Parts: sequence; structure tokens; C-alpha cells
Amino acid sequence: MAAEEWAQELARHLGDRMISLTPFARTLGRVKFRPEAAREIFRAVHDDLGFDHLSMVGGIDWVDRREVIYTLWSDRRVAYLFLSADLVGEAPHIETASAVWPGANWHERETWELVGIQFDHHPDLRHLLMPDGYAFNPLLRSFKLHEPEELEVKTRHV
Amino acid sequence: MSEMWINMGPQHPMTHGLWNLRVKIDGEQVLDVDPEMGYLHRGIEKISEDRHYNEVITLMDRCCYVAGLSWEHLYVLAAEQALHVQPPERAEYIRVMSDEFQRIGSHVMWYAAFVQDIGLMTPFLYGMRDRDLVLDLFQSYTGARMTYEYMRVGGVRNDLPPGFIGEARKVCDWLIDRFVEYDQLCLNSDIFHKRCDGLGVMNARACIDHGITGPMLRSAGVRRDLRKDRPYSAYDRLEFDVAHAEAGDVTARYLVRMEEMRQSIRIIRQTLDWLEHHPGPVLAQELPRWLGAPYAPVGREGYLLKRNYPKGLGFSAIEEPHGEALAYVVNEGSEHPYRVKFRSPVFANVSAARQYLVGYRIADIPPIMGSVDVCVGEVDR
Repeated sequence: MAAEEWAQELARHLGDRMISLTPFARTLGRVKFRPEAAREIFRAVHDDLGFDHLSMVGGIDWVDRREVIYTLWSDRRVAYLFLSADLVGEAPHIETASAVWPGANWHERETWELVGIQFDHHPDLRHLLMPDGYAFNPLLRSFKLHEPEELEVKTRHV
Repeated sequence: MSEMWINMGPQHPMTHGLWNLRVKIDGEQVLDVDPEMGYLHRGIEKISEDRHYNEVITLMDRCCYVAGLSWEHLYVLAAEQALHVQPPERAEYIRVMSDEFQRIGSHVMWYAAFVQDIGLMTPFLYGMRDRDLVLDLFQSYTGARMTYEYMRVGGVRNDLPPGFIGEARKVCDWLIDRFVEYDQLCLNSDIFHKRCDGLGVMNARACIDHGITGPMLRSAGVRRDLRKDRPYSAYDRLEFDVAHAEAGDVTARYLVRMEEMRQSIRIIRQTLDWLEHHPGPVLAQELPRWLGAPYAPVGREGYLLKRNYPKGLGFSAIEEPHGEALAYVVNEGSEHPYRVKFRSPVFANVSAARQYLVGYRIADIPPIMGSVDVCVGEVDR
């Protein structure tokens, strides 16, 4: 399918809830959408565009914002598609995708505890990999594995 | 009514690894399940942010301890895209051959553990014996039997040793005959059929909704295989069929894995033929200097810092022995990856446990979970 056709089809189904489409090698690209329209976006991508398989949910901490990325696969189109949304503020949150793709359940639990993104209306938002009551989000950039001094000691002995 | 929750794990013969399956039962009936993961969480994604690109490969072997080479392949594919590096063709074929031997090693390990779960002891010993031959081959060219650290961003560490191709062909010939024996041991056994037929049924719709991939998905009649649908490395130049079955139960998963091993032998033979006649470099000639020598000290930093290296994003998806494994690597121009994310197929397969366990009996749990092929290392990462 030609790139313009695909962009038009996306625009027709997602409308102004979509912010941009960035091409990416060997996939159908990376769609950035408005987080407040997450529920409608998920429905449209699942029902209208045919991406019925959610491969993973991940988060990236860009310090000034957090990006949540959904990787989707469609058996009909035989291709991957990325959905991403920028979440700003002290308590980033977005609507859960598990109502549309039940398989999102654990991926969102993991992203919640490691990257600190709240998934609204999630059926079972508990700790998965970390112990209960763990108060940190290890995949944030502010979570340091070692102090800078340790690095200098290591350097001296190289 | 006498409902109660019991723990199967974290130390239980069924789990094959460190995890806990909480089961709600009424008598023998399974009413609800709740897998508890995290016992083996080492924070591989976090540690990766603190390492050089080639140092992450060490962690990949620990990610899945029965399929280390497949995970290395997953990571180096993503890292190469993020760093704009192109591996030579010979390295691609060696990677594919390693992947397929790894698939056999993983599936034979699965076979050995699975049949022991359902009460057949002899196949366990046969399986372990044959897996050793594959490990011997790995040892001959990577130097290790479990933690290989063999692939590199831009190729593989070293070429195959002299005489390897002949040895590998012998192992293939041996294994393909053994698979017939495996089938005879299991499919002719009444115990096997009584404990496996019609258990843990998942239909195609439920599999796709819950993100299940790999042999579990193909056993439900969906012919999805990333090696065919989205070929990577040299798979587009190799001939093989996608193993699949229709029933979606434990027996179907057994049949799919057995057929996959036969197809792997077919792929390996093609790669061996190619490798025999196409000598060449196995590591890209034009590598960024900091990638080649991560520990060479320069100035006060102690590391070769890369300056003005282009940023990039790498994404890879491979068909791992357990299913579809995905990774992305974010290169923000520093000497460490900014973010690494892995998708483990077993993670998704176990998360759907409620779908294929509820409604069966306690004694059915070991064969069903055995047929899922849980590898905790890659679930927890």
C-alpha cells in the first residue's frame, strides 16, 4: 500500500485525535495521538483498522514528559504499527487499553510500576515484578544505579 | 462449598523456574488462577541503560537461559538499526543457524521437562542426551554451553571453527531420527493421550485477544510466523513451512513444536550449505571505534565517548522458540542506550493463564503449564 493512501486511511478513521504520523522502517509508522482521546483511538485502531493483536506496551521517560508506546500487529495487514502519546505533569495517566485488548493487562501493570504511568480504569493495577508496596519507579531517569564517584573509581583502574 | 487458594510455587515441580501460581480450588476443580511473577526480576532493562551497546549482549544470555542466542539476535538486530550498522551476509547466516539450533535446544529441553511432568521418565533422559549434542556444537564455536556472548552489534564475534560444518551435519542427521523416536514414545502412549488430549484449549480468537504467540498460537490454527511474515536476517532466502495444528489443546502444542524442530533441521541444512561455499568476514569492517573497544581509556573520561554520532531508534521482532519477541533500543547519542525495552512472548502467554486453566482440574495444571513452556528468565527480565 502506498504511503499516502495509508496516511489518508489513518486520517479518515482517527481524525484530529491523531497528532502526527512518523514513518519508520518496515512498519506502518508511529502514530502520535492525544492522550485524552485514548479510548476512541484504541477502538478505532482495533475495530476499523484491524490491529487486533497488542504486542507490548512500554514507556520512555524523556524527563520533561513520559511517552507511552503501544506496539500493535495486524494479521490482515501483516505489519506493525506504533501508537504513542506524550504524557506531561506530575502524575501522568492515560486510559487503559485492556478493555480493547485484554492482553494489555500485564503490560500496563509493568509499565505502571516501572515507568510510573497511571492507567485509568485498569481492572487489576497491582505490582507485577516488584514487591508489593515498592515505592519507586526504577525505569525513570532520576533512579540512578550508582553514584558518580563509583564511576571514577572504576575508571582509574581501567 | 470449600473454596480455598493454594500456592503452586515458587518451589514446585510444575513451575520449571521461580514463579508462583496461586490457584483457587473447590475440591479438584480450578475456579480461578493468579500467576505471581517477579521472583527473578533483575532489572535487565535498567542495567542496560548503564552499559555500552555490546555489554548488553551479556545480559541477553541471562534473559532466557534456554534460548540465549535467540535473545542476543533480537537485541543486536535492534541495536544495529539504532546505530546504523550493517552486518555482513555471512554473519546473518551464522545467526540464523544459531537461532535454529537454539530452537531445537529449547524445544528438546521443553520436551524433556514436559513429558516428565506427565509421568514419562524415559523421554526426559533421551531429551537431555540429545540437547547435549546441540550444546557441544555451541561450545565448539562460542566457547560456552549456556551464556554464549557470541553475537555482536555488526556481526558475530568469530567465525566457525574448521570441521564445524561436518559435525553440525552429523548432529542434524542424528536428531532427525531421534524426533521419530520421540513421537513413538509419546503418541503411542495411552498415558500421554489421557493426560493431554482436549486440555487447556484456546481458540484462535482468544489467543489473539490475549496476545498469545508462538507455538501456542499456531496450535490454534493461526499460521503466523515472523520468519515468514516479516523476515529478518537471512530467512527470506530460506525454504521452510510454518508448523501449525487446529485443536488448540496440549497435544496440538506438542505436535507443533515437534514439526518446528523438523523444519529447523531443514533450515539449518540450507544454511550449512551456504556457509560452506561463502567464506568472508563475520563482523562489519566499518564499525564505530567506540563500539569495537569499549574499555580503551581516553582522556579523563575513561571511555571512548562518541561525539556527534547520529541518534536513532531500533526496533526488531523475531520468532523466538517460545513465540514473538520484540525489542526497541533508543539511541540518544550517548555511549549507552537511552532506553531498551523487550517484549517476552512467555510474559503474554502466562498472563492469559486464567483463560486456559479455569474449568480444568488440579492434576491438569502440570501438563497445561508444561505445554505453555514457561521460561521465567524472560518473563521477569
